[in-house]
Amino acid sequence: MAAAALAVTDELALPLRAVGDLAAAAGISREEVVVITQCATLGGKLPFDDASVGAVLSVIKKAESFGDQLVAEVSRVLKAGGIVLVQSFTPSSEQKPNNYIERQLLMGGFVEVQTSATSSQDSVQSVTIKAKKPSWSMGSSFPLKKATKALPKIQIDDDDELIDEDSLLTAEDLKKPQLPVVGDCEVGAAKKACKNCTCGRAEAEQKVEKLELTAEQINNPVSSCGSCGLGDAFRCSTCPYRGLAPFKLGEKVSLSDNFLSADI
Amino acid sequence: MKRFWRYLLKKDLGARWLEGFRYAVFGLGDSGYQKYNFAAKKIDRRILQLGAEPIVEIGLGDDQHPSGYEGALDPWLLSLWKSLNQANPSLLPRISDIINPNLNNLGDAKIDVIYYSSDDAPQDSIVSDSKKLIERARSISPALKFHKDGEPQYMLKMVTNQRLTNEGSDRDVRHFELEDPSSAISYQVGDALEILPSQNPSAVNAFIERCNLDPDCYITIRAKGGDQGSKGSTVNGLTDRIKLKTFVALAMDVASASPRRYFFEVMSYFATAEHEKERLQYFASPEGRDDLYQYNQKESRTVLEVLEEFPSVRMPFEWLVQLTPPLKKRAFSISSSPLTHQNRIHLTVSIVSWLTPFKRTRHGLCSTWLAGLSPNEEILIPCWIHKGSLPPPHPSVPLVLIGPGTGCAPFRAFIEERAAQSVTELTAHVLFFFGCRNEDSDFLYKDFWLNHAQDKGVLSLKEGGGFFVAFSRDQPQKVYVQHKIKEQSERVWNMLCSGAAVYVAGSSTKMPADVTAALEEVVREKGGEAASGWLRKLERAGKFNIETW
Repeated sequence: MAAAALAVTDELALPLRAVGDLAAAAGISREEVVVITQCATLGGKLPFDDASVGAVLSVIKKAESFGDQLVAEVSRVLKAGGIVLVQSFTPSSEQKPNNYIERQLLMGGFVEVQTSATSSQDSVQSVTIKAKKPSWSMGSSFPLKKATKALPKIQIDDDDELIDEDSLLTAEDLKKPQLPVVGDCEVGAAKKACKNCTCGRAEAEQKVEKLELTAEQINNPVSSCGSCGLGDAFRCSTCPYRGLAPFKLGEKVSLSDNFLSADI
Repeated sequence: MKRFWRYLLKKDLGARWLEGFRYAVFGLGDSGYQKYNFAAKKIDRRILQLGAEPIVEIGLGDDQHPSGYEGALDPWLLSLWKSLNQANPSLLPRISDIINPNLNNLGDAKIDVIYYSSDDAPQDSIVSDSKKLIERARSISPALKFHKDGEPQYMLKMVTNQRLTNEGSDRDVRHFELEDPSSAISYQVGDALEILPSQNPSAVNAFIERCNLDPDCYITIRAKGGDQGSKGSTVNGLTDRIKLKTFVALAMDVASASPRRYFFEVMSYFATAEHEKERLQYFASPEGRDDLYQYNQKESRTVLEVLEEFPSVRMPFEWLVQLTPPLKKRAFSISSSPLTHQNRIHLTVSIVSWLTPFKRTRHGLCSTWLAGLSPNEEILIPCWIHKGSLPPPHPSVPLVLIGPGTGCAPFRAFIEERAAQSVTELTAHVLFFFGCRNEDSDFLYKDFWLNHAQDKGVLSLKEGGGFFVAFSRDQPQKVYVQHKIKEQSERVWNMLCSGAAVYVAGSSTKMPADVTAALEEVVREKGGEAASGWLRKLERAGKFNIETW
């Protein structure tokens, strides 16, 4: 048997008004409520299928009636996420019954247990305790979120206004150009060292030609081509005087310090 | 340029926005770089996309080409002239000169030099105010006037000149502290200091002598056919004229920068000795391009050296002014924080010197000059603050800093600043990766980093920071900052996930590419394949900054 709502009471007689109030509190029209009285005498089961009832409204006179078995039954017949409303009447002097009911609900596996404000009628206090059956069913599982961090999303202010400039380049553009192959023997050919060479190529380029100057060549420079004295602009690539200042043929050549110190 | 490019990238421009617009692009690139000629290629594509019409194919100059960029420029220019000539012959009436250059026909220089007698010389205090002289020289120089430098913001005194590398190291790196005796200096971490170096007075004198100039006459410079008012006018008082010697010293680089190919071409017109004329014409020609490269660029020939090697050349001063490379300011990252050093600017400078293929020693003009200044000498250093070379980070942003060698300079500033801030407010973590050759010889600012990595310092583990050093030559295999980054991939990953900004600074062209590759590996390894484009996005969002020099 299924129902939108089930009203359960330990009393023999239950006024419709009470049912109506609770139904309203549960958001259900009272026409849909099935009422069971004298629940304490049921001897166990409520005549309903598992998870067949949307809400259980119970009006309890004696707190003890809300025992473990009743609580278990209420839980059984309730659909996942269904609510239970328990209204109990206590003489104003007693506090305990509310706590008892709350604890019963908690122990019975209900969540979001809330006790609402009390209302007094004829020196008797009534308290409505609301609880919910958890929305997960038994045996269900879901994976825990991994504890990995995620990269923050980056807010680029004018992302919307501007196109992505990297999209302007094709795969072809990203390739390096084919350089003409030139004999690598000479300085100044093919691949040159970068301006800020740190890998050592620049130094290697510098070492390409190491020309020795004899003492004779320093003291009495002669030049078969006639250009050696004119300066680097005119000297051949093999000129021993390359790197020196211009000089007059026959006069002693002044050397810069570099030529006298050993190369590393 | 940034604003120009950003505008072109706007989605709403449409494919017809540049309809009817004709253009040509030549890129000056170097295939030694990852991003070979990217700027030229992107601009060409985008302008095409927007509906414009190219009149020639894109030209891609490549420094790695045997002839440098001119290898691509010469044929590109020829096709450019031909295309322009076809479209409208009246544009290029002397096209035949271009296709078959006749090196016997030189036109006029683009500027006039006006000389004043000593009677017309300014007698006011301007003469001795170096700031004003610098402004004047740089505002009449045709190559510099459009930079609108103005007066130097500060004339600073050097108060500390300390060598950081030990004597055995072949690198000479200095720690300089500069101060303005009269006022506070306003700057931020991440700013750079632009310095105008002084030229060696004997070089300036040698140049003036070689060119038969009168150092003491007063001159001014006018663009030819410009609307600069009547010549020799005294409307502005005598504020437009300057001593020739002062102009040469402040605006013309005579003993450091190399002249360009056109300088040699113009020299050939003014050479009277036949063998010199021939040689100069050869250097200026496409056939002689390689030899010119070897003689000039690779040897770092200076203007003075070239003029001395071709003694028969008598180039008029107008041409010298137009073609001599301008004396440029040099920028250095500031390595101090204004919070810690209110009146001083610290710099970390590597003194540049190298050996050319012909075994001549060359020295960097500015670094050598600075190295030779004794503390508290009266010599003043003209300076400008160049703001925001690296955007300064907010104290709440975690930082991953990578700065081997002198690249550590701006990060010394960042770390000093964050240490000062951490006293009064909550600051985010900092990881710093440094690299050098040997722990014993060039471990710059060793004590500084170690101090901040101890106890509760900004780089200490306790405070969530980190300091990692790579000594590249202390063991048989090379260990660089990128290896350290990969070693610390867990920590780097955590920083990136917490929104860190990444900064890379240094002096190599390969290092940024290697570091970027290492970071990409970390991201891919920890974040999966999908994370590949993330670094690029970080760059565009301004949180991945690379500065190299």
